[in-house]
Amino acid sequence: MKKVVIPLAIILLFTAPWIVSGPFFVHLMIMVLMWTVLGASWNILGGFTGQVSFGHSTFLGAGAYTTMILYLKLGVAPWYGIPIGGLVAALIALPIGFICFRLRGPYFALSTLAVAEIIRLVALNWESLTNGPVGLLITTLPEVTFWGRSIDWESKTPFYYIIAVIALGAIVATYIMSRTRLGAYSLAIREDIDSAEAIGINTVQARVAALSLSAFFAGVAGGFYAMYLRYIDPDAVFSIALSVEMVFIAVVGGLTTVAGPLIGAIVLVTFGETFRELFLVGHLIFYGLMMMIVIRYLPEGIWGKLRLWFGTRS
Amino acid sequence: MALLTVKGLTKFFGGLRAVHDLSFEVQPGEILGLIGPNGAGKTTAFNLIAGFIHPTRGQVLLDGENIVGMKPYAVTRKGIARTFQIVKPFRKLSVLENVTLAAFLRFPARRNAESEAQRVLERVGLGSKKLALAADLTLSEQKRLEIARALATRPKLLLLDEPMGGLNATEMGQASTLVVDICKGGVTIIWVEHVLKAIMNSSHRVVVINQGEKIADAAPEQVVENPSVIAAYLGTKAK
Repeated sequence: MKKVVIPLAIILLFTAPWIVSGPFFVHLMIMVLMWTVLGASWNILGGFTGQVSFGHSTFLGAGAYTTMILYLKLGVAPWYGIPIGGLVAALIALPIGFICFRLRGPYFALSTLAVAEIIRLVALNWESLTNGPVGLLITTLPEVTFWGRSIDWESKTPFYYIIAVIALGAIVATYIMSRTRLGAYSLAIREDIDSAEAIGINTVQARVAALSLSAFFAGVAGGFYAMYLRYIDPDAVFSIALSVEMVFIAVVGGLTTVAGPLIGAIVLVTFGETFRELFLVGHLIFYGLMMMIVIRYLPEGIWGKLRLWFGTRS
Repeated sequence: MALLTVKGLTKFFGGLRAVHDLSFEVQPGEILGLIGPNGAGKTTAFNLIAGFIHPTRGQVLLDGENIVGMKPYAVTRKGIARTFQIVKPFRKLSVLENVTLAAFLRFPARRNAESEAQRVLERVGLGSKKLALAADLTLSEQKRLEIARALATRPKLLLLDEPMGGLNATEMGQASTLVVDICKGGVTIIWVEHVLKAIMNSSHRVVVINQGEKIADAAPEQVVENPSVIAAYLGTKAK
């Protein structure tokens, strides 16, 4: 079944803008894929190693600012800026990891919240670099020709293809991780960190590696976010709301699964937007209600539950 | 030369002296019983050797090299493996996966690690349970899994923290046979136990600690006759 479903899904992923019409739907799909990347990023750390981070917007913001600043100050085009943003986020994750992973469980989770807040305040106040609360704005994107045609950045379709490639990359990375020793060590750490140490796993190093990989994808998504929306400010990209949303997507989709973040993003982004359309006032109430129902009845996440039903436990 | 030398090991938890000036040696190929009444400092001594806590003073030498201050994973890589008194399996993973993870230490390729895990599981008698989830095993099986996981790291020295705790008489007999068998396979063992009787027949030498200090270090049959050991376990007669 996998042999049919996976190629079909990939074909669908790259033909979708031809099937659906209207900028709203393309925008919706872009958001779904961007949140897939962010959910996948959180899942790499939170799902596999079981380390709960409430501060993942740090990495999203680092990627977004890197891409923006490189473009505005040095003229580096965003398609280089986006992967560099991911690398910068992965580098920032190293010191954060070595410091915060001295703590365990809820204390680690709280420390990530504190770090995110520190970084947000730095971004707000380091005006020479970040332009402070005013934020950064891109007015035009550089001209690019692709197969002899100039790309129209006013259309949403090119952005769709960029994020589709990134999302595919994040899902493939999750799959690869689940097959490697880092993935196996992560599960050991999630299950019991003392036992993991006792069998010779350097748990700080393994957790930092997972955090760094996770941060890379959050940073790449952040770079994309900056290029797509063309405007960022510290409260937009370093907000706790973004960090929490990443947790929701990963949890609702199904932790430690490869496809979970995609499912989580499809469900949460579409419901979120639909509720917003249906109930202009108080749409978050319905969103919250839906979250409660999912957590109460599907604690293993939507994809996690489906896998249990079809009996394909990994 | 002794495989492990513990010299003047002392640990304070705040004002509490958990282990005081503890010294002993373990010879290669030996099963050393480490016993003492509740709260004597057995588990603390054990954690000090395995690197899970660091001593206030003193040295732990493995093959003459001081391993004090090393992290637990580094101690394991040096060749000391441990089990936990309260079992800590990777509950949501299969028995085979539990042991494979440990085998990765010496066999980086998954295929080799898995065949090593398979071999170790057969040896401890869990071969038929390899696909079960660790959480679904009985306590006695989980204790075996602890030992299997430790063995898969190919240790020189195996530290067993109360492997008999919670087992019935039959299971105790089996566990005892297993430990002796492991020792014959060339692994030196320190066996911490609360109940003296459990290790009487299996250990070559017994160190008794009480209130953090060593009160006896002799063959098992001599230790049970030692008045201070009897006093530590039963108390002294009222005068």
